[in-house]
Amino acid sequence: MKAILAIEIELCTGCRSCELACSIAHSDSFNPKRSRIQILKDETRNLIVPMVCLQCEKPLCQEACPNGAIMENEQGILFVEKDICIGCLNCVTACIYGGIGMDPVTRKAVKCDLCRGDPACVKACQYGAIKLLSVTEGIHQRKKGVVPAFHILGVQVAEGQE
Amino acid sequence: MTFPYKGYAGKYLDIDLTKGVVHKKDMEKDWARLFLGGTGISSKILWERTNAKTDPLSPENVLIAGTGPLTGVMFSPSGRMMFAARGPLTGVWAESHVGGFFGPEMKYAGFDFVLFNGRSKKPVYLFMRDGHAELRDATHIWGQETDITTKMIREEHKDPTIETAVIGPAGENGVLYSSITVDFYRAAGRAGLGAVMGSKNVKGLAASGALGLEAYDMDKFLEANEQEMAKLRDPLWKDSLASLRKYGTTDLVAVINEIGRLPTKNHWTGFYEQADDIGPEIIAEKYRIAQEACHGCAVGCKYIIQVKSGDYPTDPVGGPEYETIMAFGSNCLNNDIESIFYLGKRCDLLGLDTISCGKTIGFAMELYEKGILTERDTGGLELSWGNKEAQVELVELIAKREGIGKILANGVRKAAEQIGGDAWKYAVHVKGLEASGQDPRAHQSIGLTYATNVRGADHLRSLSSLEELGYPDIVIERFGEEKADAILDIMSPKYKGQVVWDMEDLYALVDSAVICKYTTMWPPVFYFDTFVNVIPSLTGMEEWSDPRYVRQTAERISHLRRAFNHRLGVTRKEETLPPRLLKEPMPTGPAKGGLPDLDEMLDEYYKYRGCDRETGYPLESKLLDLNLDFVVDELKPLKMIK
Ligand code: SF4
Repeated sequence: MKAILAIEIELCTGCRSCELACSIAHSDSFNPKRSRIQILKDETRNLIVPMVCLQCEKPLCQEACPNGAIMENEQGILFVEKDICIGCLNCVTACIYGGIGMDPVTRKAVKCDLCRGDPACVKACQYGAIKLLSVTEGIHQRKKGVVPAFHILGVQVAEGQE
Repeated sequence: MTFPYKGYAGKYLDIDLTKGVVHKKDMEKDWARLFLGGTGISSKILWERTNAKTDPLSPENVLIAGTGPLTGVMFSPSGRMMFAARGPLTGVWAESHVGGFFGPEMKYAGFDFVLFNGRSKKPVYLFMRDGHAELRDATHIWGQETDITTKMIREEHKDPTIETAVIGPAGENGVLYSSITVDFYRAAGRAGLGAVMGSKNVKGLAASGALGLEAYDMDKFLEANEQEMAKLRDPLWKDSLASLRKYGTTDLVAVINEIGRLPTKNHWTGFYEQADDIGPEIIAEKYRIAQEACHGCAVGCKYIIQVKSGDYPTDPVGGPEYETIMAFGSNCLNNDIESIFYLGKRCDLLGLDTISCGKTIGFAMELYEKGILTERDTGGLELSWGNKEAQVELVELIAKREGIGKILANGVRKAAEQIGGDAWKYAVHVKGLEASGQDPRAHQSIGLTYATNVRGADHLRSLSSLEELGYPDIVIERFGEEKADAILDIMSPKYKGQVVWDMEDLYALVDSAVICKYTTMWPPVFYFDTFVNVIPSLTGMEEWSDPRYVRQTAERISHLRRAFNHRLGVTRKEETLPPRLLKEPMPTGPAKGGLPDLDEMLDEYYKYRGCDRETGYPLESKLLDLNLDFVVDELKPLKMIK
């Protein structure tokens, strides 16, 4: 069954433990900038928004990749094949959710692969703000929390893509 | 040889501001091995680079920004860093710690420490990114408040991920208790290090980094970290942690008032009748809109408030800590919480220590009541108790050093000297640092903590919450069954010398690692064994798996900081309490009649610390045991060791 990470935005304290855990899981180092989940902050507006791949039905990132570097793993989760990625940023520009980013060290795209079903960020979050949910439940949660935050941040979310 | 240990960034910046040059250097192996980081390493550097003649606000003073091996790695809480220098307010050892995100970011940018030497000709700020560092012109931001400063730096680099530690106008104007504001509403508040930064023409530090940090043995470290986290999840701590998450430190207003230890009316008493008006419940109900946490922290004591209407409306902003509420609230008999929010926020923006600022205003109010200060001195300001409008005006005057603010900007000790007469009687400080939000007449051991704290009268170098909040199991575990009853008796001086000695050493490591007092002071979860557990696998420093070595390191740091102060003239005579806290019995409240037995506790403390009872000077044998030969070499000719 496909699953997605659902964020309960009111519970997030902005502590970045999820970023730390993600960077340990994927780069064996403490390096939040290499994390696949990114906490966006605007302290002056009390905004803390975790940005992570929403495992879209129609993935704009995959469509945008000129090289076909974004592919499905055995569990049907999209990941970036780093040997194929040329770091052109097309996917990053295409994703309106900020769910795919550039690894500042390898200069290749990186996105959440749900840690093959047992996400490190979920375990690291001490505030219960991140959950791994089935797609149906998850989409509901996504609408409740993340989408309004995107609106505040000025990110345009096109109809039907939520 | 390059620096061998992990967990650290491995490099530090040695900056000559006078010449405008930034030297990048490898961290020194022995710094880490013998002093760990933060406070420990700072004590070594300041010992070497300053001396008894160093004027705190001169180019010769060295301002250190430091982190520790646990800063920025997976450990709760890992968001802390610190500043140190010879202090302008006290003239002695000064360090100040702060949470948030700047510390980790500085390490991710590649640097464990920054040493500011000299004085820049024009205003500058230090910018660090991915192993590069440069001094940049700050002429255009000089004079700005701390939030605008941070926004301007972020905009200049078009990078919202930049974290900062900056001073406001107060630091530029040399207010002796200026703070350094980190990430908008956190502050390295105490001891006036913002004034040292300002005296060097440095507006702040800014960092963004993607270099990351490594562990010596990641799997083992994560396992050790998990063991420590499991301790935190012990049901024993459930209530404390739940309270910290719900109320932050504001809960202390209620808890502390209940034991009669809440400084009220310039420390006249420890009980405030109106405490409910400025207490946790009203804040949580009416103003709190969100919870926040520092980097990697599982406690999450930070909270955000908003005030929508009234005289002091504010957009969402970090809410005040217990100490701020105490300093401007009970201590000045102001029970209007909205004005306290406002005062706290102004202090963060102007770069003022809320404790010293509130305490200095309380001091001025008492002088006004006693007729020592009159409206002629205050420029027409009526400094009556609880006058919040006057408080608001004073904060601005102090930051600008204008009118009466010129004198009050010097803190209570110097202000009392300048005002003369009986003013000194109402100056509640130790070594020149205004007392924080405790009272030894209601809690014996805090008297010893205030007296021996190397930076002056506050709780953060050795406060024991064991008897304050009552943790019998921990007391038995740490000090044994026989001593438990006496230790748990908050008004008994017995064994408090040992307890404070033990806490001081524990916090010496906490402040070097650098982690938070929450989870170490309150609730008292992490202890020496935590460092034995996590430091070796993180850093690769094998000797840290030996508990004796870890304790010795703690003692070494404690002794070196004390020696730093001896060299500046501090002896047992200075390790004392202000007359009000030592000789005036607590007049009202649950602790009525209380007085600290300071001498008895000091005697015991010196015995445990390895110091001479008459003078407080260290024993030569103790220093040699701790590999502090270089201290012996310098203090022996001065007859400052026994
Ligand atoms: S770990 Fe949880 S609370 Fe912390 S930033 Fe991530 S989502 Fe937010």
